[in-house]
Amino acid sequence: MLKLKNVSKSFYKNTPNENQVFKDLNFEVEDGDFVTIVGSNGAGKSTLLNLIAGVYPVDSGSIMIDDVDVTSYPEFKRSKFIGRVFQNPLLGTAPSMTIDENLSIAYSKGAGLSLKMGLNKKNRDLFKEKLAELGLGLENRMKTKVGLLSGGQRQALTLLMATFAKPNLLLLDEHTAALDPRTANIINEITNKIISENNLTTLMVTHNLEHALEYGNRIIMMHQGRIVLDLKDEKKNLTVQKLLKMFNEVNGSDFVDDRVMLA
Amino acid sequence: MSFAISTLEQGLVYGIMALGVYISFKIINFADLTVEGSFTLGAAVTAKLITSGVNPIFSIIVSFLAGGLAGLVTGFLNTKLKITELLAGILTMTALYSINLRIMGKSNIPMLNNKSILDYFSFAGNYRNILFFGLIMIFLVLLTNYFLQTRTGFALRATGNNQQMVRSMGINTNTTITLGLIISNAYIALAGSLVSQYQGFADAGMGIGTLVAGLASVIIGEVLFRERNILWAVISAVVGSIVYRGAIAVALTIGFNPTDLKLLTAILVVIALSLPGLKKIVISSN
Repeated sequence: MLKLKNVSKSFYKNTPNENQVFKDLNFEVEDGDFVTIVGSNGAGKSTLLNLIAGVYPVDSGSIMIDDVDVTSYPEFKRSKFIGRVFQNPLLGTAPSMTIDENLSIAYSKGAGLSLKMGLNKKNRDLFKEKLAELGLGLENRMKTKVGLLSGGQRQALTLLMATFAKPNLLLLDEHTAALDPRTANIINEITNKIISENNLTTLMVTHNLEHALEYGNRIIMMHQGRIVLDLKDEKKNLTVQKLLKMFNEVNGSDFVDDRVMLA
Repeated sequence: MSFAISTLEQGLVYGIMALGVYISFKIINFADLTVEGSFTLGAAVTAKLITSGVNPIFSIIVSFLAGGLAGLVTGFLNTKLKITELLAGILTMTALYSINLRIMGKSNIPMLNNKSILDYFSFAGNYRNILFFGLIMIFLVLLTNYFLQTRTGFALRATGNNQQMVRSMGINTNTTITLGLIISNAYIALAGSLVSQYQGFADAGMGIGTLVAGLASVIIGEVLFRERNILWAVISAVVGSIVYRGAIAVALTIGFNPTDLKLLTAILVVIALSLPGLKKIVISSN
């Protein structure tokens, strides 16, 4: 499904600040996998998602999505395959537009620019139905400007928008990290529901090791630009303690992430 | 009465320019300084064509397209050559000054003896200008409102809000920015074309200060209509333009010199823009 082959990426290349994040990274994800990604500070978790999404180009190597080589595609072109939710709830929606207008943009994703009306009875009914499934009461506020919603509501809306067109690949970049714990749990439940209902191939970066173990069918742990642990079948029986112990064994160093949530 | 009529006439015809400024500054959130060049471009093309015996309607269409081309250039400079938006606009505006003089061949073309679009409406007597400007304004407001409700319109509005989101929805923000600039500058050139026919001449310097006047109109409109849907936002730019022209007329009757007007306009815009910040300072000092 997703194939990264010998991907290398440096920032500030050829300057004293050069920072090589990845060197010949290889990584594959199978169709329908829900992969949670954890890792220590500066491990390259977000960079990995940004490279897949095309926010910046790779220095060398290739990225394939569903057998299409997207290495040279700019970000907006890769969006055809990818749905994405960011940590910052402000990044996924247009604040001065209403909920239904935002959904309309997601609904016509990939259809290109046209002079068709953005909203009509049919798609509004669909939006209402989908919003009701979130269970947040947003279906009664479709004419509300998104800027007036709370972070959790915006993130739920972003999630709905990112998955509306059933993307081949869903990227979640710590999408609950900016929310309070209660709201984070609600969003996580919604996420899990949407992913399992649509059988979406997903990569989820998280700092919450409990969540990383609870959700998904595969977990990878990153350290200094390398994937140091990659567990699929053993994942079910893991605990946070076991996971940290395994990390320690492969690395010879302790797992350091000042934002990690152990509980 | 004639005072009110001429204010309304000016408010409406310059309101077309305010619509253009609204599209670049507010819809796609692009501080486009091409305005002063494209406004004059519209006037220059129209004056040249009309004095050469070309039909006024055709002249207006060519001016409209020329303005769109100016917007395309600014869009190209910004999105493809990665020149910052302010500089891209200034470069196009500066280049247009020379181009406008080339088109006109001299710095001022009078066209009082030529037939203008307004002559088609002579049957309305004293209300000739109001009738025509009013009709074209209604048409443009409805057209703009419709366009901003289409999928493309949504994409433009979202671009002004959150480019990251637009890209993750598979839309090229370079395209939406450039499209916004094309439409904006086409409107502004249309305004230039109509103003030149309204005042009976085109002048190479007639664009100076138009940007700030357009911005003042948009801001006044925003203050007058706060919570609003798109139709009202579009209408408010036009109403802002009429109020602005009214304020200018009042300033003149109480004895300000016409040459003071740009200073007054600049002060007005500064006050309007700084009001939210000033409010905060006042509140926090209490």
